[in-house]
Amino acid sequence: MTTLNGKPLSLPRSMLDVSLLDYLRDHAHLKGTKFGCGQGLCGACTVNVDGTAERSCQLNMSDVLGHDVTTIEGLSATVGGDKLHPVQQAWIDEAVPQCGYCQPGQIMAAVALLRQNASPDDADINDAMRGNICRCGTYDRIRRAISRAAAEA
Amino acid sequence: MKFMTDHIDPDRRRFLTNTGWLAAGVTVLASCSGILPVLPTTGNPDNDDASTWIQILADGRVRFFCPRMEMGQGATLGLSQIVAEELNVPQSQINCLTPDSDQVQPFKMTVGSEGLSVFSVPVSHGAASLREHLRALAVAKSGLPISEVTHMRGGFKAGDVSFGFGDLVPVDAELVVAETGDEQSSYLVRNTRPRQAIGERWKHPDLEKIVTGQMIYSRDVSRPGMLFGDAVRPPRFGATLKKVDDKGVRDLPGVVSVVIDLANNLAGVVADNPMILPGVLEMLDVQWQTPEGSADADALDVSKYRPTDDFEHTLVDEGDSPDPDTIRGKTHQAMYTTSSMAHAAMEPRAAVADVNDKTAEIWCGCQDPYFVRGRVAALLGRGAEDIVVHPLRMGGGFGGRVLCQPAEEAALMSAHVGKPVRVQWDRETEFQQNYFQPKFSHAIDSGLNERGEIAFWHHDFVSAPIIFGLAPKSVAPVLDAFVADEGTARGALSPYRADHKRVRYSDIRTDVPTGAWRGLGAAPNTFAIESMMDEMAHLAETDPLDFRLTHLRTAGPMADRLSSVLKSVADLSKWGRPAPDNTGLGIACAIYKNQTSVAVVAEVKIDHQSRAVKVARLWCSQDCGLVVNPDQVENQVLGNLVWGCNLALKEKLDIQNGVVEQTNFDSYNVLRFDEAPQTFIHLLETADTPPGAVGESAFAPTAAAIANATFAATGKRPRHLPFDYDTLFA
Repeated sequence: MTTLNGKPLSLPRSMLDVSLLDYLRDHAHLKGTKFGCGQGLCGACTVNVDGTAERSCQLNMSDVLGHDVTTIEGLSATVGGDKLHPVQQAWIDEAVPQCGYCQPGQIMAAVALLRQNASPDDADINDAMRGNICRCGTYDRIRRAISRAAAEA
Repeated sequence: MKFMTDHIDPDRRRFLTNTGWLAAGVTVLASCSGILPVLPTTGNPDNDDASTWIQILADGRVRFFCPRMEMGQGATLGLSQIVAEELNVPQSQINCLTPDSDQVQPFKMTVGSEGLSVFSVPVSHGAASLREHLRALAVAKSGLPISEVTHMRGGFKAGDVSFGFGDLVPVDAELVVAETGDEQSSYLVRNTRPRQAIGERWKHPDLEKIVTGQMIYSRDVSRPGMLFGDAVRPPRFGATLKKVDDKGVRDLPGVVSVVIDLANNLAGVVADNPMILPGVLEMLDVQWQTPEGSADADALDVSKYRPTDDFEHTLVDEGDSPDPDTIRGKTHQAMYTTSSMAHAAMEPRAAVADVNDKTAEIWCGCQDPYFVRGRVAALLGRGAEDIVVHPLRMGGGFGGRVLCQPAEEAALMSAHVGKPVRVQWDRETEFQQNYFQPKFSHAIDSGLNERGEIAFWHHDFVSAPIIFGLAPKSVAPVLDAFVADEGTARGALSPYRADHKRVRYSDIRTDVPTGAWRGLGAAPNTFAIESMMDEMAHLAETDPLDFRLTHLRTAGPMADRLSSVLKSVADLSKWGRPAPDNTGLGIACAIYKNQTSVAVVAEVKIDHQSRAVKVARLWCSQDCGLVVNPDQVENQVLGNLVWGCNLALKEKLDIQNGVVEQTNFDSYNVLRFDEAPQTFIHLLETADTPPGAVGESAFAPTAAAIANATFAATGKRPRHLPFDYDTLFA
């Protein structure tokens, strides 16, 4: 079964060649996942597929058949839905965002990292997050937010 | 209190109606200028403008039409705190809105780190005027003299009675706005009581939307019945559309219209499905007229102009010519260059236009909605006041969004099909079709006197126009002949004493489109000055910090503030400590726009095995006067430090024959996590100093600090940016 943010997703055949990013934005109307480069170079479109960070611009819908896709909109539901996910909360507590455009992708990458490594050090964070560009330059605050989320988990 | 609604001119009435004021039948200001200027977006605001931005609603809440576009710099939050300070209300009581273009009078474009430095005082006057207007209402209502009506949290106390602000809105009105005028009562200007909002670490109200994916940027806008447009764009700068053969594209399923507009250089397609656009555009046979020859970027080489002293502008030429006998053997010359660069904001620009016979609306993120409005009006042949721009938060600006080209394309296509049309640029278009930061080429001659201090400082440089970079071809030659581009020269005047100081430059127009980019000339110019100061300190065999402090002594109040941040950052970084092998510390500083002083120490590590130059840590001390929100200022400093790393080590556009070679983040390099340094930021506040420029200030000295640290680590001096291990040890 394919799911999108926990809900079953049935796809017509005509959608299978559409990129996951285009599907999310223009068909599912989930605009939180952002277009940045279209080539998997910047990480703005990062979502989780079965809990792993993936670039949604680099996947077609056929690639996610039978898998669980989570976007920024579905993140708080993974922790009950009545409050923000701890990573989202850490982002607010550290006042990370400037323009904010890359941050949904950064958060989805960070959530996937913490699922694999509950207490990453800065080198682990740098390694896992290397594919996510923040042009405003909030990297140092993102590292702090990830460490805070790890500590408070 | 007068009711002046009968005397308001039509334009003013229109926006008052749109914001609900006239419908509410409330008092409006008496002394406001009734005439809207034609091109208001470059003028500074006045207090009458400000009084139209702030309203008290019947429920006591404050509605603030913030006159700054938000792109992450946080000006909307800082100015909200100014409003809260004057009215004495908590953050929860303020609803800060980005006004549509018909909701307030036009205001200056959002550039130049002016959000707080230029707008905080007018906003404070506007809010204070509203507070005093409300006080007068409380006086009338209570019957007590004004001396017995005291301001308290969210309202007034009059004798034993308390009035919330909402209690003072007349029963037949929806809101209250101020009379103009009271310039004596601003708490920002005359700090007569303990601060309650200024200086607090308020969090931006958009943060929750951002982290939950609910924030709406240009690309996220959707309108009922919206169609999707895209265009074939010029293959090089200056190319004009000659002929288009649509070869039956019109008849393809999904294609709504092919829009060929030779006069406006548009070869576009509108479709009901955005997925088909790339394929359909490829089928169009588009012929372009490309300009002959090229005033290529080789023109921007200072060594071409030095032999004949051929410089257009002299910034300064002062002091005694040095006695050649005192400088024998202690002179030095160096040349420095920086590269062409792109804004590369994370959000490639986009817009939605909805144009029909009666109305025209634009949704886009842009630094100047009124400029966009004017451009669209001209394209559509309508009056500017007939166009409404709905500005949105930008996914990064950095000077690159003064224009919003997709808004123009979408407007033309929407006018053609009579339905809303969305145009989204992809990353390749964003890199290739915008305007850019020009190259800078510097030469500095200097020499030491018998005291080991600077005897002369002769600095020449060339670059391209920046502030006037976007001037239309029809006026550019006239402008260039008479106006020195201050943007190109920003930061070029060294703050240091010299027996003789001369700075000359030329702003040379090439066929590369140039325009505003973070800090304009400040970072390239500071890189040259602060590298040369390091070289001269080395020549004088003096510590680079001491050398700078010596030359700032008795050089004026801003130089004193610069000395303070230098000493502060030296303490912070433990300047002077021994560095391990292959590690170096470098220092640099700058005065930004004569408002903010900032100093940076960089720690650079050289890894010979991986052939890498790494900025490990950056320390920054900044004095930007009054800090309205330390958290926002520190975040801006952080971003500027990262931009300094980019300037030093990463960013470079290659432009050949009118074409940008870079198309995406594989060829245009920006700093990533593993390269981003640890940062340590300290803010100083000089007493009684208004908020200064913050959004670009710390960028200015950072690349020089990195270059100077690299020299300390390796003995090799990076003079051409960007540099890396291979160019350093080539």
